[in-house]
Amino acid sequence: MATEALSTTTARPVTDEGPRISAGMVAMLLFIGSEVMLFASLFAAYFFARFNIADNVWPPLSPDGEAYHLPILLTGINTAFLVTSSFTVWWAEHRLAHGDRRGLIRGLWVTIMLGATFLIIQINEYAHLDFTPQDQAFGSTFYVLTGAHGLHVFVGLSVLTVMLIRSYRGDFSPTSATPLTAASAYWHFVDVVWVLLFVLVYLL
Amino acid sequence: MSTHAPAPAAHGHDHHSPNVPLSYWWKRVAWMTPAFFAFGLALVWFARAVFGMDPLWNAEAYYTVATLLGGMGFLTGIGCFDWWLKYAIGGKVDFDDHSFHGATSWKAYFRVNTDHKVIGTQYVVLTFIFFIFGGLFAEAIRAELAQPGQQFASGEQYNGIFSTHAVIMIFLFVIPMYAGLANYVLPIMIGAKDMAFPKLNALSFWMLVPAGAMILASPFVGYFSAGWTQYAPLAIQGGTGVTLFQIGVQFAGFSSIFTAINFLATIATMRAPGMTVWRMPLLVWANATTSALVVFGTPFVAGSQFMNLFDRVMGTNFFDATQGGDVIAYQHIFWFYSHPAVYIMMIPGFGIISEVLATFSRKPVFGYRALAMATVAIAVLGFGVWAHHMFTSGMADWLRVPMMITTVIIAVPTGIKVFSWLGTIWRGKLHLKTPMLYALGFLFTFTIGGLSGVFLGTVPITIATTDTYFIVAHIHYVFVGGSAFTIFAGIYYWFPKMTGRMYNERLGQWQFWLFFIGFNATMYPMHWLGLQGMPRRVADYDERFAELNLFISLASILMVISTLLFAYNMVNSWVRGPKAPWNPWRGRSLEWLVSSPPSTFNFETDPLVVGGPYQYGIEGARHAVVYAPSQVGGELTEEEKRTVLVVAHETLASQQLVDAIRRKAAEDYYWRFTIAVPAAGRDKRAAERRLQTVLAVLAEDGIDASGEVYDLGPIEAAATVAGEETLHGVIVATYSKDSSRWLQEDVVDRMRKSLRMDLSQIVVTPGDVLEAFDAKGVQHVAVIGRDGLSSQALVAELERRADVNPLRVTVLAAAGIDGPAWTDEASALREDIGERAGETLGLLLLAGIPAQGEVIDRDATAAAVVAVESYAPDLIVVATARGETAVESAIEAVREKAGVIEVEHFIVDAEAPAAPMGS
Repeated sequence: MATEALSTTTARPVTDEGPRISAGMVAMLLFIGSEVMLFASLFAAYFFARFNIADNVWPPLSPDGEAYHLPILLTGINTAFLVTSSFTVWWAEHRLAHGDRRGLIRGLWVTIMLGATFLIIQINEYAHLDFTPQDQAFGSTFYVLTGAHGLHVFVGLSVLTVMLIRSYRGDFSPTSATPLTAASAYWHFVDVVWVLLFVLVYLL
Repeated sequence: MSTHAPAPAAHGHDHHSPNVPLSYWWKRVAWMTPAFFAFGLALVWFARAVFGMDPLWNAEAYYTVATLLGGMGFLTGIGCFDWWLKYAIGGKVDFDDHSFHGATSWKAYFRVNTDHKVIGTQYVVLTFIFFIFGGLFAEAIRAELAQPGQQFASGEQYNGIFSTHAVIMIFLFVIPMYAGLANYVLPIMIGAKDMAFPKLNALSFWMLVPAGAMILASPFVGYFSAGWTQYAPLAIQGGTGVTLFQIGVQFAGFSSIFTAINFLATIATMRAPGMTVWRMPLLVWANATTSALVVFGTPFVAGSQFMNLFDRVMGTNFFDATQGGDVIAYQHIFWFYSHPAVYIMMIPGFGIISEVLATFSRKPVFGYRALAMATVAIAVLGFGVWAHHMFTSGMADWLRVPMMITTVIIAVPTGIKVFSWLGTIWRGKLHLKTPMLYALGFLFTFTIGGLSGVFLGTVPITIATTDTYFIVAHIHYVFVGGSAFTIFAGIYYWFPKMTGRMYNERLGQWQFWLFFIGFNATMYPMHWLGLQGMPRRVADYDERFAELNLFISLASILMVISTLLFAYNMVNSWVRGPKAPWNPWRGRSLEWLVSSPPSTFNFETDPLVVGGPYQYGIEGARHAVVYAPSQVGGELTEEEKRTVLVVAHETLASQQLVDAIRRKAAEDYYWRFTIAVPAAGRDKRAAERRLQTVLAVLAEDGIDASGEVYDLGPIEAAATVAGEETLHGVIVATYSKDSSRWLQEDVVDRMRKSLRMDLSQIVVTPGDVLEAFDAKGVQHVAVIGRDGLSSQALVAELERRADVNPLRVTVLAAAGIDGPAWTDEASALREDIGERAGETLGLLLLAGIPAQGEVIDRDATAAAVVAVESYAPDLIVVATARGETAVESAIEAVREKAGVIEVEHFIVDAEAPAAPMGS
């Protein structure tokens, strides 16, 4: 401390060349971190329910003694749609980096279509499941986890739609596209959470 | 986003100020809030009808959606989302839109404002109002517990009262108050022009309004009575108030998260050139750490409350053991956030304390890096101790000992902090201003709370004392003795910066001692009660605890009085306190290098940071170079200023000395003045009044001056200042040789030798003209009277007023001569009244109030004419003796002559023996 104090009587050369990351991206990454913790709390409740189950049967049996059924195949296909959408949004950004605004718009359209497809299939799944949120802790954790994720997909889609509108307006350029980059980071997060959720809740 | 918000001058576009009147926004609120609320009701009705849910009416479901949407309606109405909605639908938006930035009138505080300083003030004021509500609930608890048995609240109501008290204090007072204080000073401290996301910042603040409204409304729809922790299944079975709490707390939680992200993004990307992380003030470190805790911790409480809510409203089974749920899971998830939340409610206070202790000890912070890293360590360890709240909950046994060990380990970084603070004040030159008193009080009370915390971290003690008043004592020593003390310290410390006015120091000190004594008398006996087994959260208790509980309830009233005193001091000083200089405390960090209050964008140009922030007393060290506006002398930094020491006691409030200071200040732009008032064996309050008056006058002139009353002789006081600052000149003011004790004791020569400096001596004659004191911050009172003069009561009343606001007095003694003025009778009258006036002037001067006088031959009305025409006072006081005749008509006549000037009437008991005049 003392030596530093004495050596700073004259101004030091300024070496800062500005931060390498924009405030917008810092904020989005922190927000994603926050969202990760929200899902972590829901997963925590899921594991409490799962590992407290009396006879280690998961999914548990209904009061009639039948096992609850999860549509793994259909959801697996649906997962593929969502994962693909992560690549298409990456591709859209990639096109922008080459100055191809039409490519960007096309990429965003495809991404939104894939995301919407995922959401519709998921709602359809809800309508055909043989259990409800009120059916034991199993039903509660399943619906709240997938529902929270579905809500995030919806938010992600809304944000991407706004990005699409702004792309038509010509807001983004290869050097200035923080909102777009942030939106795409959020979309990747939504996809990664889904993969985790699919593996933990459906497959294992 | 650009790295730095550009300065206003750099903008190409015009600043279209929001010309819409305030009523526009509040009209929008008035229809949008109920509209959204009704839409929520309709939505639930529609959904329940479509899906054939039975019954169609389910209060919880309707309340949940409707309050959620009602809150959003409020935010939409006040205009938080306008910019983003415009952006979303493809409208033309301006990314550097400053049209909602800054305040020119009070109205700007009642609409969405993107200026971090306005938002900071909004936060502090609103959360203080919440604090008063929380305090009312606390007093309700003490009223119920004043005697054993039931007083006014049923068991259920009592549970609701203490739950609401805790929730208000935690979610609506401590957490957002810290956010507010940091909002104001943090961007300035790192040399930024605003926060990274001003619109998000405004949203964060306004979210507190629905949050507060819901939590305050909850008692009216059925208390939430499960305690602030909302344990399942108690909360799940509770009344509708629980739903309001759960929605309200989500608003508060999102507000916290957005603010935290904003702070982190601001600190990460908007630091001034040269502001490396190891040059950041500790308040910035503290808030960065806290923000990280909020970002990663708060979602857990959101998750726990969502699941609780779903269990209540949707009939899910997260915490229902009969359906495969786990009750303990709620506690784990809740405390995984809520233990870090304890640090969220403490670490920003640590930051405030570090600032205050260093500034008022005039020493570099001891162990700067250790303090910074200890803060981070507390935060990291804080995530690994949550289950110490659950030792008696029936959780897995193997978790107990690890959690006990991690808990006790947290005492290590906390101990590092406490010892570093002690090292900071060790052999420092302590200036016991109110913020410093609070900081020292904090060290005392927080250490007690911290020690009982280590105690409680051990499993056997927890098992023995769980759910007793020992816990209540501990948590209040941490949150009141810790958080609330630091908040008071912070508000006093930055009050001059935030309002541009000085608070009243004497009231501040009274407030501190009342609060400190009241707090300890209230909370300390709770340790004993707890150890004797008095359970917490129960409205009734055993007879044997009755006396101590009555004592506690009475002691708590001291805190109420103290809080009212605080509110009075703040409001009064804000409205008519003396103007504050830029740097009343001689602080080193950046917020003290800008004006009070700072200009709209804080800095005219980017400051350049060249050193650490706490290098007090290190010669030549400097923290930053700030280019000041040209009217105070162009390129000028705090360190480039040169200090002139002014030593004076009774002679301080005199025309000659003020003129001398003005002449010196006009000589060159770099002079600033440190006034030392040696008051050993003299009237310290009088000295303080003189000092405040002169400071107010100098502040009005834009002269940089600060000062202090010392309980020392003149030579020792001068030596003390010389030990803290490099002096470039000394002015000593004395009376003339015959009447000056200092000159008789050869003080000036001895001071010259002791300081080894040349000094200039000003000779003052008392009771001359006082035009120098014609300043806005100094109230000019004309006292008109005859028999009412020369009484102790009159002087005492004027002293009381001078304590609140500096004033100067013109005594107009009305002789009341009726007939010709040359008769002997008239001369006698004149002589008599002259003597009285002289006595009054003498008393006022002794009391430290600048005063002058004149004898008027005729009556009070004539005196009023003289007052208005020659003196133009701010206030006319007519002093009459009890029993004086024809008073009413005289007052009426004076009022008529006074015109717009306010007239007051004092009735005093005449002929109270006047004190002999001193030297």
